[in-house]
Amino acid sequence: MKILVTAKRVPDPEQKVKLKGNELDQSATNWQLNQFDEYAVETALRLTENASAGNARDGEVVVVSIGPKDVQQQLRSTLAMGADKAILVAGEDAELDAEIVARTIQKLAERDKPDLILMGKLAADSESNDAGQRLAGYLGWPQATFAGTIEVVDGGKALLVGREVDAGIETKKVTLPAVVTVDLRIVAPHAIKNGKTAKDHAYAEGPRYASLKGIMAAKKKPIEDTTLQALGVTAQKRIKTTTLEAPPARKAGIKVQSVEELVQKLHSEAKVI
Amino acid sequence: MRFALTEEQDALKRQARRFLEQRSSSADVRRVMVTDAGFAAEAWAEMVQLGWTALLVPERHGGVGLGPVELAAVMEEAGASLACAPLLSTVGLATNVLLRADESHQAALLPEIAAGRLRAAVALAGEVDARPDADEVVLHGHKSFVVDGHSADLLLVVAGDGVYVVRANAEGLSRRARATLDPTRKLAELTFDSVRVPASARLCHGAAVDGALDRAKVALAAEQLGGAERCLALSVEYAKTRVQFGRPIGSFQAIKHHCADLLVLVESARSAVWWAAFLAATDDPELPLAASLARSYASEAYLQAAGQTIQIHGGMGFTWDHDAHLHLRRARGSATLLGDPSAERERLAHKLGLSS
Repeated sequence: MKILVTAKRVPDPEQKVKLKGNELDQSATNWQLNQFDEYAVETALRLTENASAGNARDGEVVVVSIGPKDVQQQLRSTLAMGADKAILVAGEDAELDAEIVARTIQKLAERDKPDLILMGKLAADSESNDAGQRLAGYLGWPQATFAGTIEVVDGGKALLVGREVDAGIETKKVTLPAVVTVDLRIVAPHAIKNGKTAKDHAYAEGPRYASLKGIMAAKKKPIEDTTLQALGVTAQKRIKTTTLEAPPARKAGIKVQSVEELVQKLHSEAKVI
Repeated sequence: MRFALTEEQDALKRQARRFLEQRSSSADVRRVMVTDAGFAAEAWAEMVQLGWTALLVPERHGGVGLGPVELAAVMEEAGASLACAPLLSTVGLATNVLLRADESHQAALLPEIAAGRLRAAVALAGEVDARPDADEVVLHGHKSFVVDGHSADLLLVVAGDGVYVVRANAEGLSRRARATLDPTRKLAELTFDSVRVPASARLCHGAAVDGALDRAKVALAAEQLGGAERCLALSVEYAKTRVQFGRPIGSFQAIKHHCADLLVLVESARSAVWWAAFLAATDDPELPLAASLARSYASEAYLQAAGQTIQIHGGMGFTWDHDAHLHLRRARGSATLLGDPSAERERLAHKLGLSS
């Protein structure tokens, strides 16, 4: 199975965000791989290895990112985890939106013909959650978003995807090629059944750490550099940022003397009960 | 010359930090340090999987074949997180000694260490006689302060003019963990009561240990550097958030000066440690000088950083609940391992021809 995984770098969510005029001040940003994308890479690796036979690989995992040159660092970290190859499409974060991203991945999918495109369900910075859905629409492929479990069925021709929806788990069968976006629980010990690894195999919780061997091997793995123009992407940015402002500073709370006073204030001042 | 970590070394260090944040949190350290073993088997198994035990082992023996700089990167993060794991003993000390043994010993033992099937300790301080008896050698005597000596599967014992491999279950060997100031690192007393080992258990000449010891000192100094860095980070964070008299305490000059002094100490220690690691990686003849310098500087930097961290945190700093005192204990314990700062300075002076 050939899997294309999308990976976006995002500012460290633990870091305090600074504003510079009408944009984010990214001069001191610590960049890291979007967590859901890291889960997508882990999912792709679990789908293409036989964990019951010393992690023997059966398939190819290609990770793609769109961004400036230094996104290579995040791509290398996915190669160190075990991905086979990476593609870096040159671009600046400020000039991208979900439309351009979806069109770019569409072009790459038409060129490289993967069996499956795995994506994080959303990026921790924009939280827009729409690139995967657009992409499936443009490719005319089936989609399964918010995947919490994946099982390879029909001899590798389809996936049974457990989707995390408001009402619970919806199980959906998608024939390949397909677009799947992954949710948090996809990295649980029993979330992936790939038809090769023993069904009762328990993976370690969470995405894997790159081993020293993995880090050294990543140095020799290829990263293809390309551009939006070279891929023939003509989409224009549709989202425009009008203003950007920090949330107002929290005001100090007040102390109440009694439960009665609290209830009265919640009712008459906060008007929540 | 570019004196900075390469992209891979940087990735390795980040990965080590990330792993240790998850597996060697303050709660983990406190849970593990009170156990008899002194390390968590599951976390150690994960460190083996990450390749840390294979780090120095050459590829021909199933290792990754990296060097002192990469080890220093991992040790720095281990020190920052106060990791309770036999890294210094098995990787920093024993692997470096085994790398000086002949090829047959290397081929027999290094793959076992790399794969995590053996944990090893080096017994340095103390007196053990090695008396040849036919095709055996009889070891008799006592060794003290053996890092992880109580739990290691294999002991590399400096005895007579050689280094001998002794299995932990050897007849006549008794081991006892000592109660020490630093609960995060276990030290053992070993008694050899006519322990018989085959003559082939002799690994190398005792003098070969010096080169290994210099490399182990660099690893320990890197661990101390990591600890000092963490103390500085804890202090600065606290100074920015703790409000007293209506202002963060970091705005007071007395606290600012302490933090600035710590930064100077940490950065100077970093220069000394990385220089020593670089010389170790290039087999430079100046390594003994650099190792002594790194150890004496990093020991004092960590001690001061840990002490000041307690001061900056006020009363909270010396409570059991805060990590500052664990760092102070680790700093005190580490400063006296493998030679204390004054001994290192004396050695340095001697090498430079400044003492008689």
